[in-house]
Amino acid sequence: MIERQVVETDILIIGGGTAGCMAAVEAKEQFPEYKVTILEKAHIDRSGCLAGGMNAINAYLNKGETPESFVRYVRSDSCGLIREDLVKSMSELFEYCVKKVEKWGLPILSDENGEYTARGRWNIKINGESLKPILSRAARSAGAKVYNWLVVTNLLKEGDRITGAVGFSLRNGKFYVVHAKAVLIATGGAAGLYRPNNAGDASHKTWYSPYNAGAGYAMGIRAGAEMTSYEMRYVALRTKDAIAPTGTIALGVGAPQVNAKGERFMVTRYKDIGGDGAPTPYRAHGPIQEIKAGRGPVYLDTRGIGPEKVADLKKAYLDMYPSQVLYWLANDIDPDKEPVEVQTTEPYIVGGHCQAGYWVDQGRRTTLKGLYAAGDVAGGAPFKFVSGCWAEGVLAARTMGEDLKKMETVQARDDQIDLEEQRAFNPFRNHEERKHGIQAAELEARLQKVMEQYAGGASTYYEMNEEMLTVARKKLSSLPAETEALVADDLHQLMKAHEVIDRVDVAQVLVEHLAYRKETRWPTYHTRTDYPERDDINWLKFVNSVRDPESGKIEMITRPYEQLVSGDRYKP
Amino acid sequence: MPVWIDPNKCNGCHSSRQPPCLRMCPGDLIVKDHALNKAYLKYPEDCWDCLPCIKVCPEEAIEFHLSYQFGSRGAKLSPHVHKGRDHISWEAVDINGKEETFTMQTKVMKVALDEKVEDGEQGLDFSI
Repeated sequence: MIERQVVETDILIIGGGTAGCMAAVEAKEQFPEYKVTILEKAHIDRSGCLAGGMNAINAYLNKGETPESFVRYVRSDSCGLIREDLVKSMSELFEYCVKKVEKWGLPILSDENGEYTARGRWNIKINGESLKPILSRAARSAGAKVYNWLVVTNLLKEGDRITGAVGFSLRNGKFYVVHAKAVLIATGGAAGLYRPNNAGDASHKTWYSPYNAGAGYAMGIRAGAEMTSYEMRYVALRTKDAIAPTGTIALGVGAPQVNAKGERFMVTRYKDIGGDGAPTPYRAHGPIQEIKAGRGPVYLDTRGIGPEKVADLKKAYLDMYPSQVLYWLANDIDPDKEPVEVQTTEPYIVGGHCQAGYWVDQGRRTTLKGLYAAGDVAGGAPFKFVSGCWAEGVLAARTMGEDLKKMETVQARDDQIDLEEQRAFNPFRNHEERKHGIQAAELEARLQKVMEQYAGGASTYYEMNEEMLTVARKKLSSLPAETEALVADDLHQLMKAHEVIDRVDVAQVLVEHLAYRKETRWPTYHTRTDYPERDDINWLKFVNSVRDPESGKIEMITRPYEQLVSGDRYKP
Repeated sequence: MPVWIDPNKCNGCHSSRQPPCLRMCPGDLIVKDHALNKAYLKYPEDCWDCLPCIKVCPEEAIEFHLSYQFGSRGAKLSPHVHKGRDHISWEAVDINGKEETFTMQTKVMKVALDEKVEDGEQGLDFSI
């Protein structure tokens, strides 16, 4: 018998990460009369993308920059197609958020005039090893109630209104039913859809948090929320094996990319679109083309930067990615004497770097009543990174607070809750009844094999065509039904089972998006060999999808692009 | 194995039900063997290398390793949080034995030895 725990709240935040913590603080500060509850899959002090720390804030308006100049930059970096309203509204809150977190104790580096130390046009340097606990403690001190180790399995819906969420505790095994007037999804993006770069004990040596399994996307898909731009996947350019950020080197010491012959290929081959400063997709696409053409390995040329800058680099990595330093120590690499090899990662779906996610309005309302989205799970606004996720948390909190005043309480029906309980614990029941079901790891391997080989994985240089995607679609089609045979013999395995269930739902929608957009706007993120060119005449618009909650059919729709900030869309 | 808890140094944080390393792992990968009173990394293949576990261990019992596929053993990188919790030093030893220390400003939050589980713990037996 599963014990049930019922929680009532005004505002429910699913995911206590970057966006969720900031939303909780804003909600409690602006609307102290409302109860704010956070459900967090891990422990809120060290969960999500920021668990290991950060060494920079990468979206900030340094002196002389404006929301308009930011929109122009992000628009050109995203190859001419973004939700300008969303990008602008978040940039207006960068300063508000960063100053707040500085007040909570985040060390931000400043120059002698008290100006933040810039590291590139939109970046400032921080000592952010403890950024996550700083945020979580602010959320708790503000009065948000936090449930740690709570794995949310689905949203509750009554008619067209989201009324709460359900899940289970990794620690006490109880089934939680949370009734809320407004629900904010802030669960992050999705890793683990594609086969990872490394095997064995390094299979989770991924760029994106491997614990971000796309739960927020999947819950929205199942509830019938409109999603946008999944086809703009993210492929990160990282250091070889350590998978540490390259911006730390490229921006920190100005090291350019070179191929095996020492050629600055971004300058020679991508000069027209900015060379080393080309849009982000091209900075991943360029090196892949070098490797494909037999001119790899590819490096960031750090030779001759001097011992002082090497020490600075090491310190910067120790604040967020210590394994890069250990990698150099173990492999006898001195970046002053030899260049740093780079590679690309498996593709991820993440709305904070690219724009896959919920289709939202400026207040971060989704298309479902009572449901809001912020951070990596929200679509249309790339280049969010940490500060943009904060800004979206603030925007969503303000909207929820205002909307709550005119919202009546609706509660989900008991029969729906009973069904959700059965669904949540189904892998346990399978374990009790049958001895040979499907392990989460087996289903994950199956999913990743299909995605890797037919939906533009790293081994095909991220390329795809209609025929490959048709195979992917067919091979994925049986998986949702097969998830019903998943087995779990403890709560950790139950979590793993739900992670793969969520990934299957996200992958199916992703394949439909990849197939629908018949152009190549974002090379490598979405390289269509059958439509290799960008096509502004037919495809300067958003590709969106809605999965019908009853039939499960994924319907594709398009939404128009709107230019709000003047200027050439391809110039920063 | 990316992190390794030295059983000779780990004291299970005494009677803690959930020691800091276990709580701060974002992947829920560390468990405590209450009979032996030791914590260990139960799912090494799922480790992200993010290292909060190392930084919160009061006994400095957790070692940071590179997966062997990425490089040979012998190099070392160990963090030491200063008493004032406003600085962290990283002691680095390369494969040739050369030592270096990096000290940086930070703000390390204090982490309690134990924390209660919301709505109570429950021993679950799902064995068949």
